[in-house]
Amino acid sequence: MAEGIRRREFLQGGAGLALGASLFGAGCGVGEEKASKDAVTKVVPAKIDGDLLIFNWTEYMEPSLIKGFEKRYDVKVSQANFDSMPSMMAKLRSGNEYDLIFPTADYINRLVKANMLLQLDREKLSNADGIYPFFDDPWYDGGSAHTVPYAMYTTGIAWREDKVGDMTGSWSDMANETAKGRTFMLDDFKEGIGQANLLNGFDLNATDPAELEQTKGTLEHQKEYLRGYSTNAAPLLVNGTAWVHHAWNGDIVNTRNQAKKNPENFKFETCKEGLPVGSDCMAIPSNAKHPGTALLFIDWMLDPEHASANIAYFGYPMPIKGAEAAFAELAADDPAIEVSVEDLENGSQFEELSPDDRKAWDRVWTEVKA
Amino acid sequence: MTGAFWRRFLVPGALWLVVFFAVPFGITIAISLGQATELGGVLYGFDAGNYADALDPLFAPVLLRSVGYAAATAVICLLIGYPVAYTIARYGGRYKHALIAAVLLPFLTNYLVRTYAWVALLADEGLVNQLAGEPIRFLNTRWAVIGGLVYGYLGFMILPIYAALERMNPALIEAGKDLYGTPRQTFWHVTWPQTLPGVLAGTVLVFLPAVGDFVSAQLLGGPDTYMVGNLIQQQFFGADNWPFGAALTIVLMAFLAIFMFLYLRGSSSRRGALA
Repeated sequence: MAEGIRRREFLQGGAGLALGASLFGAGCGVGEEKASKDAVTKVVPAKIDGDLLIFNWTEYMEPSLIKGFEKRYDVKVSQANFDSMPSMMAKLRSGNEYDLIFPTADYINRLVKANMLLQLDREKLSNADGIYPFFDDPWYDGGSAHTVPYAMYTTGIAWREDKVGDMTGSWSDMANETAKGRTFMLDDFKEGIGQANLLNGFDLNATDPAELEQTKGTLEHQKEYLRGYSTNAAPLLVNGTAWVHHAWNGDIVNTRNQAKKNPENFKFETCKEGLPVGSDCMAIPSNAKHPGTALLFIDWMLDPEHASANIAYFGYPMPIKGAEAAFAELAADDPAIEVSVEDLENGSQFEELSPDDRKAWDRVWTEVKA
Repeated sequence: MTGAFWRRFLVPGALWLVVFFAVPFGITIAISLGQATELGGVLYGFDAGNYADALDPLFAPVLLRSVGYAAATAVICLLIGYPVAYTIARYGGRYKHALIAAVLLPFLTNYLVRTYAWVALLADEGLVNQLAGEPIRFLNTRWAVIGGLVYGYLGFMILPIYAALERMNPALIEAGKDLYGTPRQTFWHVTWPQTLPGVLAGTVLVFLPAVGDFVSAQLLGGPDTYMVGNLIQQQFFGADNWPFGAALTIVLMAFLAIFMFLYLRGSSSRRGALA
């Protein structure tokens, strides 16, 4: 398990620093370039057709698996990294050519609509049978025509048991009296508004103005208990600044790895009003130069043994039969961090919001934070 | 007036700005007149709606807070930076260059990483608090944000002041003393006016990036330290609304341009009075 700052922690800060470059790229592009339908449906045999260029989050794949693939097929694999979904989208829109990308569910939907993902024929993947059936027809990609699932995650609340004794397994714990002034909310407007929606009994993705108004009130109430908004759960919990931190399940694995003493003090709960669950995928852009090699690589990652090694590295479960044990080991101390297929079925997923609904959510977030 | 304005920034700086500022600025304006698409991209056009949204009074407290933090940052940087630059320039001797290099050395490390380091140092159970014994709440306050900004931009204050001190003829100080000036009088009547262009340049160089900064408020700030940089960043990387983010950027720049114009005009007339 790698130490240090992980993808989500570094996400927002790093994203801004990359802004200049992305802006320039966008300026050079010609707006919304839609690939043709033909480019998406072309038939690609799963065999080596050149070196592979992967576009992924940082530290989001076990490096030895890449080396193994290079050796097995005698190709070179290079990796470029993005630090947020919007910056990944910006690079793709401005015409950069990658062979394999790792979008989250809500962005896959957009990529599919814009004909930017190549259709994937699962018949060509020898390990495809191991994928959980839940992903045969996910909401973000009908018939799973363009994607293969990669990792699953949930959002809950991480806390220090040595400081806070009265957690209740509810989103109302974001306003825990003991942890007043030592609570952090995820600095992510979807997660922030989403949990308040759930606490109010609304749908995770609620956009109704009256509901959003009430959710805004909830966020303002919770703000009185906050010390800040952050995506750095692990270091802040470990160094005692945060007693309660709205967090992703991977954060707690990371927290325990960073804690030099008493890792058992760090707990994670999911909340009874609703569980935001998410997943991301592997997909091949329609302008990929080496889709054949990419297909082989996807198959390589689906191998249960390889998936297990990957899980131990990045701390998130993968929906692949035969790889469950690797995550169970990580989750041994805390079943709450487990993400099961039932969670995916019963949990709530962040859906793609229309530009107007995004504006409405952003307005709520800004009014709370300003 | 315009001639005096530009001379302060010196020619290479101006060239740099034209090449690396004018082009991105044009792109930003183009984006700000467009509309966000479903894909999070930009549909270019001529829509002033984003500007109407950007002038919403909702954003006024965010802007005022940012200006306040940046002004405090510039003042603190001046109070720290001037004595540092003065000491190096006057008493650095043959170590001058080494000392200036030492001032710049931290800036070779990414600002984001250095700010993360402050989080580790100043945490409730961090190194500083372990040494202090009594836990002090440093993080997630407006003082932490301003401290992060001071640390981040101090070099931009020290360098121009140092350069101005270096350009100054030391014989002028001797002359001041020969005319029976006390050290204090000599400083205020001889050294300070001579280095004022450096001070002004340093203030601008610190103030401007500090207003638009988002890293410090994001990592060191609390629930009530939201800055305009954070707001703009949210539009680009949260809400997928680049046109609105670009419009906010342009409005901020226009506001700062007016602010700077008044500042420089005011200070140049004061300088005229001094001379």
